[in-house]
Amino acid sequence: MSLFAEVWEAVKAVATGLETVHKRVRQPPATEFYPYKKPEIPPVSVQFLALIQNEDGSDRCVACLQCERVCPSQVITIERKRNPEGKGFVLERFDLDFVNCMYCANCVEACPVSAIVTVGAFEHAVYDVNLLKADKAYLDHLGREAKIWYSPKFGVEMRTPEGKIVKAPPEMQPGGLAELLKEAEGGEGA
Amino acid sequence: MRGPTTITPVPGRTDEMILNMGPQHPATHGVLKVVLGLDGERITRAVPHIGFLHRNHEKIEEARTYIQIITYTDRMDYVSGLQNELPFILAVEDLLGVEVPKRAQYIRVIFFELYRIASHLVWLGTGMLDLGAITPFLYTFRDREKILEIAEKTAGARMLPNYFTFGGVRRDVHPEFFKDVAAFLDFFESRLPDYRALVLDSPVFQARAVGVGVLPKERAIARGASGPVLRASGVAYDVRKAEPYDAYPELEFEVPTRPEGDVYARFWVRFREMEESVKIIRQALEKVPKTGPYKGKVPPRIKPKPGARYRAVEISRGHLGAYVVSDGSEYPLRIKHRSPSFANLQLIPDLFVGARFADAIAILSSLDPVFGEVDR
Repeated sequence: MSLFAEVWEAVKAVATGLETVHKRVRQPPATEFYPYKKPEIPPVSVQFLALIQNEDGSDRCVACLQCERVCPSQVITIERKRNPEGKGFVLERFDLDFVNCMYCANCVEACPVSAIVTVGAFEHAVYDVNLLKADKAYLDHLGREAKIWYSPKFGVEMRTPEGKIVKAPPEMQPGGLAELLKEAEGGEGA
Repeated sequence: MRGPTTITPVPGRTDEMILNMGPQHPATHGVLKVVLGLDGERITRAVPHIGFLHRNHEKIEEARTYIQIITYTDRMDYVSGLQNELPFILAVEDLLGVEVPKRAQYIRVIFFELYRIASHLVWLGTGMLDLGAITPFLYTFRDREKILEIAEKTAGARMLPNYFTFGGVRRDVHPEFFKDVAAFLDFFESRLPDYRALVLDSPVFQARAVGVGVLPKERAIARGASGPVLRASGVAYDVRKAEPYDAYPELEFEVPTRPEGDVYARFWVRFREMEESVKIIRQALEKVPKTGPYKGKVPPRIKPKPGARYRAVEISRGHLGAYVVSDGSEYPLRIKHRSPSFANLQLIPDLFVGARFADAIAILSSLDPVFGEVDR
């Protein structure tokens, strides 16, 4: 190939590239303007963990130690004592070290009473690493702040403005498809 | 045969320059150090150094219960995170004798192929970045973002979801999952011609890639290469065909191969694989039961029978295997991961010697190593 032909090939290649890029130039930006526009985090997404309390302010957690046992990085520390009135145990201490947490949500899967859940709060950059070593008060606080959360036992739950805990509609539930399809069929039948 | 562990200057030879490439070199995609002997532009000797990212996976996993180990397997090849869970899970399922429901198998296949596309998109973007083209990088990462968003909605995380589990998957899919995937496939197929025009069909790229870093078939087999590297040398070996797992026997797809074995062939094979993945997901979307169980019956405490099992899957980089030895307790006796990038990286001395220095970057990005998996 002569030098002229080679140069012509290269110019054509660059022109093809520019043409391809030019087709897409007018598209809206793919990025989000983060601090001004917050992304929507799906409830199943493991951003942070929280402890949920019942509507009357009592702990859902029954201190069964399942989450402590299943944690691969062993960041959960629970201390419990016998319930003075009635059966079971009550929590004395529930520490979760978010620094070493792997965010696998095995604890959420293991929880039999949906006490530890995944919440959508994600802005947790802090200047002091010790602030990420959460105790029960902080985890309860995260749970009270949460509007929507997920746990395998009860699915996605929401907190209404009045403070009531309700189940989210099937459009937001994992596995809500079966219910939606049934509803659609029922609607057609009627 | 043990090769030299480092390069020392030959006494009396002044025309050879010794150069350290890495471990902080941006084109090594992580922490690889290659000591190169250079005669002008030509590479005369090359010794790779690995192990900068060694985290002792296999030993840590001996001290974890089976359900905890899945979290660790994710962290091997972090670019195609979800795919790494499967060989270990398949091996333990065999030991447990667990039946996986059809629906779970198809959901696994859909996720598996979605992550293959995501991983190949990262490779395409960074590989072209190494060759000096910035535009494909911006395009591929935008497309990959869509896959990760779909995965986050169902699996709960973007890169290391810990979603597969013994007997199926951890939770049912989001109600919009199948719709989202179908919409993504339509979008992605409209983008593929762009990538083809920018990369494969571009004479500028071809001038850099054709005939560079030729890997003969025999050499690739001898070094234990797998995945797109092996298939680009003309061997049609794919674990999905050779030892099918999950729902792959019911799906039709081609195994793209190319006889040349150069950098262009490796790019071409990976590119075709993305198209095949789209085909596989489309079939799986048609065949998957929309409702039904997503997890089989699994005992509450995972205690496999004593014995050993080796299972392999075809991840984005090749043949990933897991060898699990159980002694009947809650903890495995031994786990060995066979990782494809590690074997593919053994080709560095073969491919680098005789090539130009600038071509070494192109060869390395065509091997597509991920160091989380090389060092484990």
